[in-house]
Amino acid sequence: MNKLRFYAFHLMPYPYIPPADEIQSTWVSLSNKHYDPHRGRALYNEYIDQLVAAEQFGYDGVAVNEHHANFYGTMPSPNIIAAMLVQRTRHIPIGVIGNAIPLHGNPLRVAEEIAMLDVISGGRIISGFVRGIGCEYFNNPVAPGDSTDRFAEAHDLIVKAWTDDGPFTWQGEHFYIPNVNIIPRPIQTPHPPIWIPGQGSLETLQFIAKHRYTYMMVFAPMWFTKLAFDGLREECARLGYEAPKSMFNACVPTYVAETDAQAHREAKAHLSWVFNTGLKIPDQFFFPPGYMTTKSFRNFIGALKKGHVKPQAELSYDELLRDRYIIVGSPETVKNQLGEYCDTVGAGGMIGAGSPFGPMPNWMAMKNMQMYAEEIIPAFREADGLPDYLRAAPASPRSHAELAARRGAPAESARSLVTGATGLIEHRLAHLPEVIDPTMSGPAATPTASAG
Amino acid sequence: MSYIDAVEKIDVPKPPKYHTEPAFEEVFGIPVAYRRQGTGEATVLLHGAGFTRMWIPLYAMLAERLDFIAPEAPGFGATPLPKWLRGFDDLTILYDELFTRLGLDRIHLIGFSMGGWAAAEFAAFYPRRLKSLTLITPVGLRLPDEPGVDIFQLGPAELMDRLFKDKTVMQQWLPDAENFDEGIHLYAEFSAAARLMWAPRYNLALERRLQRVRCPALVIGGEEDGLVPNAMSDKYAAVLPDARLVRIPGTGHEPCLERPRELADVLLDFNEEAAR
Repeated sequence: MNKLRFYAFHLMPYPYIPPADEIQSTWVSLSNKHYDPHRGRALYNEYIDQLVAAEQFGYDGVAVNEHHANFYGTMPSPNIIAAMLVQRTRHIPIGVIGNAIPLHGNPLRVAEEIAMLDVISGGRIISGFVRGIGCEYFNNPVAPGDSTDRFAEAHDLIVKAWTDDGPFTWQGEHFYIPNVNIIPRPIQTPHPPIWIPGQGSLETLQFIAKHRYTYMMVFAPMWFTKLAFDGLREECARLGYEAPKSMFNACVPTYVAETDAQAHREAKAHLSWVFNTGLKIPDQFFFPPGYMTTKSFRNFIGALKKGHVKPQAELSYDELLRDRYIIVGSPETVKNQLGEYCDTVGAGGMIGAGSPFGPMPNWMAMKNMQMYAEEIIPAFREADGLPDYLRAAPASPRSHAELAARRGAPAESARSLVTGATGLIEHRLAHLPEVIDPTMSGPAATPTASAG
Repeated sequence: MSYIDAVEKIDVPKPPKYHTEPAFEEVFGIPVAYRRQGTGEATVLLHGAGFTRMWIPLYAMLAERLDFIAPEAPGFGATPLPKWLRGFDDLTILYDELFTRLGLDRIHLIGFSMGGWAAAEFAAFYPRRLKSLTLITPVGLRLPDEPGVDIFQLGPAELMDRLFKDKTVMQQWLPDAENFDEGIHLYAEFSAAARLMWAPRYNLALERRLQRVRCPALVIGGEEDGLVPNAMSDKYAAVLPDARLVRIPGTGHEPCLERPRELADVLLDFNEEAAR
């Protein structure tokens, strides 16, 4: 197994908005009149090309996520982007990290879409679940105070829909479904891997430890990511098992160029935009009432005050670098800092390392990705340079021949009663006249119109 | 099920002015805080989404001539928020139970802002319990052409500015930004308000149900309400069968704090008239 996995991650921002100091927020209140769909079309297609390229470059996976009513990440439906990636890539895992499951009226929609993606992709889907950030709730009828409970119930429902034979009835507090029976079911068993992105709250860590899911820390200073990872390791130990490194993904935008100076020259404005403009969010949008329990809110605000943590929108570029929110530099610098980072926090995967960020032009994003793939990734791989997924057996046959060889005939052949036939006929043979009428043989008789 | 397990425990910081210790009455397993003083017509006031834990000057004025009772809704003041409280129907039934336990039969009911919505819901469910109904800058009806501002999108400074027309009075009621515990408590109270009001911000059924309210009703509006359109109080006055509308000069959304004397006089006169 490789030392580290690398996931190309895209937020798909729309950067053609007024500068940060002229707006209240990049979320909720900044009017969509600033969104030019023609420019949006060009961006979406560049962004999708970048993620598609990640397979050729040799990344371990690509990842997209869900946000609403903002310019920082314009994927209100990440499953749509994932569907395109499924069609334009062949073997690389695709992470939807994640769907904001409390926001949806019927969580089965997510269960169905992920199952569709998993089936069509041949079992390449990683299914992340999130509550959505506080801002998400302003364009939604779901009260922020219901978010945690709806998340838990939607999760239970989706997993049961994926794993239990239907139909069954779901009688929850938030959802009632008389007949759960999703078709298709996913390929991966018992279900696609589940990742939980989070900000390190105890409730989230306990949930992950209980289910042995994969954790993904959102943008954070290294010390805070370490704190959260240590917390998760502790929760796992409390449940009697040692958490494998593959459970821990850090999210650190990383940019590499020929020299340190060149890397900063290229990345500074764009990575700063992600935090200073993209995440310009007033407190009342970030924490709508009830989004956190009063106890969590007290702990969280208390910890921010105590640690003198600045809002992300106010972090200077030097602070972003110093606290390892981001890593920027020459191949040597990036390799060293990345190695040190992963050893410090105990990460098994990096999200957003060598990925496009902010208003970075397409050429620069591609340059970063290619250089990252050639200069950085091999240092954390075994000698063959392969991503782990190419060493493992595929989740599903990759061709019709392989399907026939490995799985044989379907458990139920397609068959039905056809007028004129004496019994059930098999559809795969239904076009043969002698199948309809066994008395016929040899050259087909002249077809006659049906009497019935 | 154990109701107590479902209750989010809250530490209750004391406001710097007008704080008094409440009494408690247990209803459906939660201790409901209330303050009660005076003799006369039993009159209950349901508070808005803030300014709790206090015996404000208006209350003292009303208690001089009334048996005045001010309960604190679940999630507000010293009353914890149980998980089962999902909407105004739960609140209405909780209040009905509370009033019974406090020995109250027929009452005068006053509601302010969010409490105005709660009072209107109570009146629609239990019209025969009321001698009179007073709504002060209430919310809860749909104004199709004027949805108003989203209170939950407002930062603290803008919220205060929109609440008060009288900025001199506003200065006396600004929360202490440095007080950590108070900040957390206000978040908790807003969380309770969001539980009741996040979506939708109205109950369409009220317009029909309020036809049942035959007691005299008084709707009090601010002169110029910066938070809730004046059309809201107009609409309540039009929907209630026996209502009249009074606007208190010099006030915005907070007549209770901005002009307590003038408001108390209007409330007491109406109370006396309705009690006859």
